[in-house]
Amino acid sequence: MSDVFFLVLRRLRIPLITLVVVYAIATFGMTLIPGVDPNGEPWRMSFFHAFYFVSFMGTTIGFGEIPYAFTDSQRAWVLVCIYVSVFAWLYAIGNMLRLLQDPTFQQAIAERTFSHNISRIDQPFYIICGYGETGMLINHGLSELGIQTVIIDYQAEQTNTLELDNLNFAPIVLTGDSTVPDNLAKAGLYHPHCSGIIAVTENDHTNLQVAVASKLLNDKVPAICRSEFEDEAENMASFGTDIIINPFLVFSERLNLMVHNPSLHRVQTWFINQQSAEHIADRALPLGRWIICGFGRLGKTIQSHLAKDGIEIVVVDPDPIASRAPEDTIVGRGTEAKTLHEAGIMDATVIIAATDDDANNLSILITAQQINSDIYTIGRVSSESNQVLFEQANCDYIMRRSQLVANAVLTSISRPLVSNFIKYSSGLSGEDTEQLIRDIESLPGRRDPVTWRLILDPFNAPAFCRHLSSGKQLTVGQVCDNHRISEARCIPLLLQRSGVSHLLPRSDMELMHGDELLVCGRRKSLLLPQRLRDNDELIDTLLNENHHYIPLLRWLSRSRSDSVETGT
Amino acid sequence: MNFEKVLFAFFIILALSLNFGFFIGEFSNPEHHHPYELFAALIVSIICTLMKFGDRTQFGSTVLASSLVADLQLIAAVIFWALANNTGTGLIDGAAMASITSLAGGALIANLISVVLLIIETSQVRK
Repeated sequence: MSDVFFLVLRRLRIPLITLVVVYAIATFGMTLIPGVDPNGEPWRMSFFHAFYFVSFMGTTIGFGEIPYAFTDSQRAWVLVCIYVSVFAWLYAIGNMLRLLQDPTFQQAIAERTFSHNISRIDQPFYIICGYGETGMLINHGLSELGIQTVIIDYQAEQTNTLELDNLNFAPIVLTGDSTVPDNLAKAGLYHPHCSGIIAVTENDHTNLQVAVASKLLNDKVPAICRSEFEDEAENMASFGTDIIINPFLVFSERLNLMVHNPSLHRVQTWFINQQSAEHIADRALPLGRWIICGFGRLGKTIQSHLAKDGIEIVVVDPDPIASRAPEDTIVGRGTEAKTLHEAGIMDATVIIAATDDDANNLSILITAQQINSDIYTIGRVSSESNQVLFEQANCDYIMRRSQLVANAVLTSISRPLVSNFIKYSSGLSGEDTEQLIRDIESLPGRRDPVTWRLILDPFNAPAFCRHLSSGKQLTVGQVCDNHRISEARCIPLLLQRSGVSHLLPRSDMELMHGDELLVCGRRKSLLLPQRLRDNDELIDTLLNENHHYIPLLRWLSRSRSDSVETGT
Repeated sequence: MNFEKVLFAFFIILALSLNFGFFIGEFSNPEHHHPYELFAALIVSIICTLMKFGDRTQFGSTVLASSLVADLQLIAAVIFWALANNTGTGLIDGAAMASITSLAGGALIANLISVVLLIIETSQVRK
């Protein structure tokens, strides 16, 4: 039985005992006091009558004096009983009402509702620890993807607004400390449908604790964590955390890419969360002198990643000793022109406002633009609400930490192969990237490129599997390109086979059962692998060169009407 | 000394002794069984039940069960008395009295079990 039930019973002990005692005394008194029957004979009430009378007296104050009119002494006793019983009832009812409003009771009810909701989940869900800006973005993204979420946050104020958001999937909320293993278990860590735990609290150490606890309790559930310190990240990795996202590192790598291989950066941003409003600049970052204002975690990461190959980094920090900045650091905040001049802003190419104070960052960027109007400005925005100000200040590239983490998490959940592509494509050379861009641009149609994942298993691609099982070979080229349906052509980006990723697979590479293939095409109608995967006749026609006149005619007429509907 | 435990022991033993007091006497003789005693036994037994409400220990739930049995038996006896009394004569006959006494005897066993459980629980407390 539940805690709530026992709690209610325990709290009702005293009020109920009071009621019983009051009724017992009243009944007992009624049987003791002598009355007179209509013939003038002395008469005493039986227990049955006495209890009957007391029952209606206590609740309604009476249907009259029955069975016979009372004597004065009986009336005096009834008078006492009326007042005592009214107070006993008030006391009992008051106690019950107070119990309903009691925080402990409410908490018990909330916990019971929560565990009931968790046990009722019948689809894959993710546990999100920490509902700050990042948690909110991830939750919205997952809800749009139609994925159920469970949120743990210790601040009820944060999660209260959830009721007002009109989400497709209402998240299940637990107000509690996510570092307590019991709370993770309550949130469904052992649930068969639990498909991952996402730790994005403000505190790195909390994220680490969640990662460790989830791996020890149930290591089958993938853990995704945000970590802003490299040593914490290494610690997390040693516990088998599946995906660790360091926003500063991701951002620095992007900057690096924008300097040395801007076209690859362009390709990657095509495929990262396509609905996101991450502010992406088109022009490549110039080499030369870069000024970093603020030598915190972001400043350090950028400095260690970019101080090479034609970039000279000048650090501006108000307290170089405390922040362990390099020796030639310019002392100052960077918000005033004098410091910026000292840092050599006149011939600098890029300025990065990397402090954790939005107002200072804005001031740095505006001052820098006033002095050197050609300078490329990069600003770090900490609070999502200040994003507008940075856009108004004509900041060229805005680093939005929460959005960056949320996008990385959502991409790795909804499109894991895209995540892998981004990870491994960093090694691509400039020429290969240019070639890839030309390939993508040469795809028929004018819409934005999209990605799609082909999974070679009997559920997702039955026709391909039958084709493979019959002993015939199947190559990447056959799946992606066929001269007879050239408008459905697509480009293979990544082939994943038993955990190993093959970047840009060659078209003569053979496919096997269980492979996953990421392709890129333009969403005009269906891509070639999408058409082939469950169509035996089409595979037979296109791949085996057998002739199926009638099905082909049927299919052609259908595809023509499709393209009319889409208006292309 | 835990006041709650003293109070509970008091009530549970009182329930047993009142019940016994009502039960003892010639089985079907109405003159040997007083209604006030039955009334008191019932009220004290109900209070015992209420005092064990919401107790999650093994002892608490077993005592709750046995005192619920006693309540049921005593309530049945009281209802029987009320119905038998209302035939008009004012007194109840021997057969009705025998039924009431036997119901109270059943309640006596249940109360006895409660007291035995109480003694066992007390003897298990180490110094």
